[in-house]
Amino acid sequence: MSTQRIDGHISQRFDEEMEGIVSDLLAMGELVTEQTESALFAFIRGDVALAQDVISKDTRINELELEIDDHCIQILARRQPAAGDLRAVVAIMKAIKDLERIGDQAKRIARIAVKLADADERYQKQYGEFELIGSHVISMLQNTLQAFREMDADKALAAALQDKSIDSDYEAILRQNMTYMMEDPRNITRIVEMTWVGRAIERIGDHARNVCEYTIYLVQGLDVRHKDDDQLQAIVQSRPKR
Amino acid sequence: MTPSDSEQTKTQQPDLMDLAQKRDLMQQRVAASLKRRHASEKRFRLYGMAAVTVALSFVAILFITILSKGLPAFWQATLTLDVYFDPEIIEIDEKPVRQPGESDGAFQQRMLAWQTDLGFVNFNRIILNSLAEVLPEAPRYQRDAMRLVTSGERFGLRQLVEDNPAIVGQTLRLKLLADANVDVWLKGNIDRSLPDSQQQLSARTRAWADELAERGIIRNQFSTALFMNADSRSSLASAGLAGAFMGSLMMMLIVMFLAVPVGVASAIYLEEFAPKNRLTDLIEVNINNLAAVPSIVFGLLGASVFILWFKLPLSAPIVGGLVLSLMTLPTVIIATRSTLKAIPPSIRQAALGIGASKVQSVFHHVLPLAIPGILTGSILGVAQALGEAAPLLLIGMSSFVASVPGSPFDQSTALPVQIYLWQGNELRNFFEARTSAAIIVLLALMISLNALAIWLRRHFETRW
Amino acid sequence: MNTMQVSFGEKKDNAAQAEHAVKMSARDVKVFYGDNEALHGINMDILENEVIAFIGPSGCGKSTFLRCLNRMNDTIDTARVTGLVTLDGKDIYDRSLDVVQLRAQVGMVFQKPNPFPKSIFENIAYGPRLHGLVDNKRDLDEVVESSLRRAGLWDEVKDRLEAPGTGLSGGQQQRLCIARAIAVSPEVILMDEPCSALDPIATSIIEELIDELKGSYTIAIVTHNMQQAARVSDKTAFFHLGNLVELNDTREIFTNPQDSRTEDYITGRFG
Repeated sequence: MSTQRIDGHISQRFDEEMEGIVSDLLAMGELVTEQTESALFAFIRGDVALAQDVISKDTRINELELEIDDHCIQILARRQPAAGDLRAVVAIMKAIKDLERIGDQAKRIARIAVKLADADERYQKQYGEFELIGSHVISMLQNTLQAFREMDADKALAAALQDKSIDSDYEAILRQNMTYMMEDPRNITRIVEMTWVGRAIERIGDHARNVCEYTIYLVQGLDVRHKDDDQLQAIVQSRPKR
Repeated sequence: MTPSDSEQTKTQQPDLMDLAQKRDLMQQRVAASLKRRHASEKRFRLYGMAAVTVALSFVAILFITILSKGLPAFWQATLTLDVYFDPEIIEIDEKPVRQPGESDGAFQQRMLAWQTDLGFVNFNRIILNSLAEVLPEAPRYQRDAMRLVTSGERFGLRQLVEDNPAIVGQTLRLKLLADANVDVWLKGNIDRSLPDSQQQLSARTRAWADELAERGIIRNQFSTALFMNADSRSSLASAGLAGAFMGSLMMMLIVMFLAVPVGVASAIYLEEFAPKNRLTDLIEVNINNLAAVPSIVFGLLGASVFILWFKLPLSAPIVGGLVLSLMTLPTVIIATRSTLKAIPPSIRQAALGIGASKVQSVFHHVLPLAIPGILTGSILGVAQALGEAAPLLLIGMSSFVASVPGSPFDQSTALPVQIYLWQGNELRNFFEARTSAAIIVLLALMISLNALAIWLRRHFETRW
Repeated sequence: MNTMQVSFGEKKDNAAQAEHAVKMSARDVKVFYGDNEALHGINMDILENEVIAFIGPSGCGKSTFLRCLNRMNDTIDTARVTGLVTLDGKDIYDRSLDVVQLRAQVGMVFQKPNPFPKSIFENIAYGPRLHGLVDNKRDLDEVVESSLRRAGLWDEVKDRLEAPGTGLSGGQQQRLCIARAIAVSPEVILMDEPCSALDPIATSIIEELIDELKGSYTIAIVTHNMQQAARVSDKTAFFHLGNLVELNDTREIFTNPQDSRTEDYITGRFG
C-alpha cells in the first residue's frame, strides 16, 4: 500500500476535522496554481489587469495559511494524533508554508508583469521559453496536488521528479537571456526582470517538490528531504509495501 | 470520506423546529407520567413501611406476652418462718470426722451411715412446728398445713443440717418456698370462685394462705430456685433451670470448640487452596444442601452414630454438642466462605506479587481481614444451635433430669428442651409463667451472644 | 545514507541490543484458559533498564502476557502456559525455580492501588521481612526509608509511617505499592495499568517516577492510555487478539507503525 487514508476514525468529528484540513490544503493548492497560471499569463501577454488581480488575491492565500495552521494546531492540541494522522497534520503544516511561498512567487511574477507590460510587441518572441517552463511548472503543481489528494507516494515521487525539467528549463532561460543581453545592451534592465521571473518559476518548482516530499512522508513515514533524485527514487520504491 | 458523505450527515440532522416541538411533547409526556411514577413510588414505600410495621408489631406482641407472662415467675410466694431445729426430732450422732490412720473406705462407710440416719429424720415435723408458731391450728390439720410449703423444702433443711450440724438446737429465720398451688392461688392464676371440688387446695389451706399473705409471712420474693435448682417433679415450686442451663452451656462450648475451628479450617481450605474441580464442586453442593437439612435429621444421625455405634451415654451434653456441631458446621463453613469471598482479590495479589507463598498470603493478609465476618458467622451459628430442640429430643435429652450435670457425660437437658418439657407440664397455671421465664433466659442468652458478635465485629473492624 | 534509511528499524534494534543485555525473553509463549487459547505464541525480548509498554485493545492478551512474566497466571486454576520464558537466560517455569524467588526478582504493581490494610511502614517492611532480607530493626528502617525515597513518597509520609496505608490518596497509594515492590530489590518491575485509577496529576507523578526508576530496573508496563505509552516507554509492543502484532521503538510506533492494525489502533480507528 503506497497510499494513506485519513478517515475511518471511531470519532466522526475527528474524520471531519482531518478531511477539513486536507480539503483546505487542496483548495489553497488550487488557488496558488491558479495564481501562478494567471501571473504567467499576465506576464507573457502583458495583461496588467490580470496581474493586478493576482497581486490582490495573494492576501487570500496568506489568510488560508493562517486558517489551516490554526486548524492543525487545534487537532494537535485536542486529538493528539498519532502515526498517519500525526504525519498528515505535520505534512500539511509544512506544505502550507511552501504553498504560501509559491503564492509569493506568483505575486512577484505579477509585479514584474505590470512593470514590463508597456513593452513593444517585438519582445514577445522572447517569452516562448517562458511558455514552456510555465506549462511544466503548472503541470508539476497539478500533479503535486493530485498526488496529495490521492495520498499516493508513487505519484508524489513522479511529480517531484518533474522539478528536474523545470531546473533545466531555467538553465535554458538563463543562457538565452545572456544572449539577449549581449545582442542589445539596452535590454539589460528588462532582461534582468525576465530572469527574475525565471528564477521565481524555478523556486515554485522547488516548493512543489517540497510538497511532494511531505506527501511521501505522510504516506510512507519517510523523511526524504535533502535527497537527490536518484536517492529519492530508490527510497520510495524500496519501501516495503504493506 | 467523500464530500457526499458529509452532506449526508448534514441532512440526517432533523429540522430544528421539529426538534423543538418534539421536545415540548416529550416534556408534556414526562410531566404526565411523573404523577403516576411518584404515586407508585409512594405506594411502594407505604407497602414497605406496612410490612415493617407488621413484622415489628409481631415482635412486640411476642416480647410483651413473654415478658408479661414470664417476669412474674421470677418472684415466687415465699414463707418467712422461724425454724427451730429441735434436737428431739433431729436425733443423730456427731458428724463423723476423719480419724488419723483411717482408710478412705472406712470413713466413707461411717459417713454414709450418718447420712442415712439423717435421712430418717422427719423434717416435715420441724416445718409443721414452725408453721404452728404462726398458725396455732396447724398441728390439728397437718395435711392442710403441709400443703402450704413445697415438699422440696424438707430436703433443704436436711442439707442445712448436713452442712452444719451445729445448728441443731438453734432457731433460724428461714425463707421457705410456698407450694406451687399456693403461688398460683395468691397470684390469682386460678379462678377463686371455682367450687372446692375443682380447686387444687383445700378451703382451709386457701384461707391460711390468704391469712399468711395478709400478715406478711408469705411474700413474693425473688426466686433463686429458678436459677439454682435443677428440674423437679415432686416439688414443683422449686423446679429450676440450672440443669438445662449447664447442659446448654456445655453443648455451646462443645460446638464452639468443635464446629467453629473445623468449619473455619475447611472453609479456608475450600476457598483458598482446594483446586476447583468436580470433587470440590460436589463438596460445595453437599455443604449447601447440608445447611438445608432439617435439624431433626441430625438428631437421628446422632442417635444412630454417637449413641448406638460409639456407645456414648444417652441424654449427655457431649452427644448433644456433637450433634449440634454437625448441624452448625455447614452454617459456619458457608459464612466463612462468603466472608473470604468478599475479601478483595487485590490483597491476595499484592501479597503474591511481593513473593509471599499462598499460605502466607492467606494467613498474613486475608484471614485478619476476614476475622470479624468469621466471628459473626460462627457466633450466629452457635446461637442457632443454642436454640435448637428438635435434634436433642432424639438423643434422649427430653427425659426428666433432676440434677445439674457435672460433666458433659452426665445426663442433662437443655434450655429449649426444658421449655418444651415445662410447656407440657400438667400444672399449667404454675408452669405457663415458668415456661415464659425460661424463654426469657434463653432469649437473653441469645441476645447477649448476638451482642457479642456485633461487638467483636466492631472491635476488629475499627482497627483499620 | 540511502540504505541506512531503508533499514532504519533493524539498525536501531541492533544498536539497542549492543547497549542493553536481554533481561527477559519469551519464545512461543501460549496461554490457555481451559480450552481457550488466549495468547498465540508470543516471542519477545525485554532489554535491561528499558521501559517496555504493552498496548492493545481490551482482551488482546497484554495483561495475560505480563502475568506470564512473574507467573501470576499460576494463581488461576484453569490457566496453562506453554513455551519458554527466561529471566537472565534461566527458564522461569522450570521446576527447580521457586516461584516465590521469582516474584522477589520480578515485582508487580497492580491496576488498582492495593496497599495492605496495615501501616505505611508495615506495607514496605512486609516484603523484606518475608524474604529475610534484613537482620535488625535498623536495617529495616533503612530499607523502608530508601524505598519510600525512591518512590518519591518519603517527604509526604515520613511523619506518619504508622498511619494506615489505605488512608493515603490514590496516587500516594500507588507510589506506596511501587515502594513496596522496590523494597525487595527486584530486577524487573511489572506494572499492570498502574495509572488507570489515578487523576492526571497523580499519573504524571507516577510517569516521572517510572522514568527515574528505569536507571535501576527493567520495567514492563501495560497501559490503555496510548499517550502514556508514548510518554514513558522506550519500546512499545502492540497486542491484538492474542498476537504480538508489532514491537518496535516507541518513537517508530507512534510516528510510523509498520502494521496497519497498529496504525488503526493508535490513531483511534478501532479498539
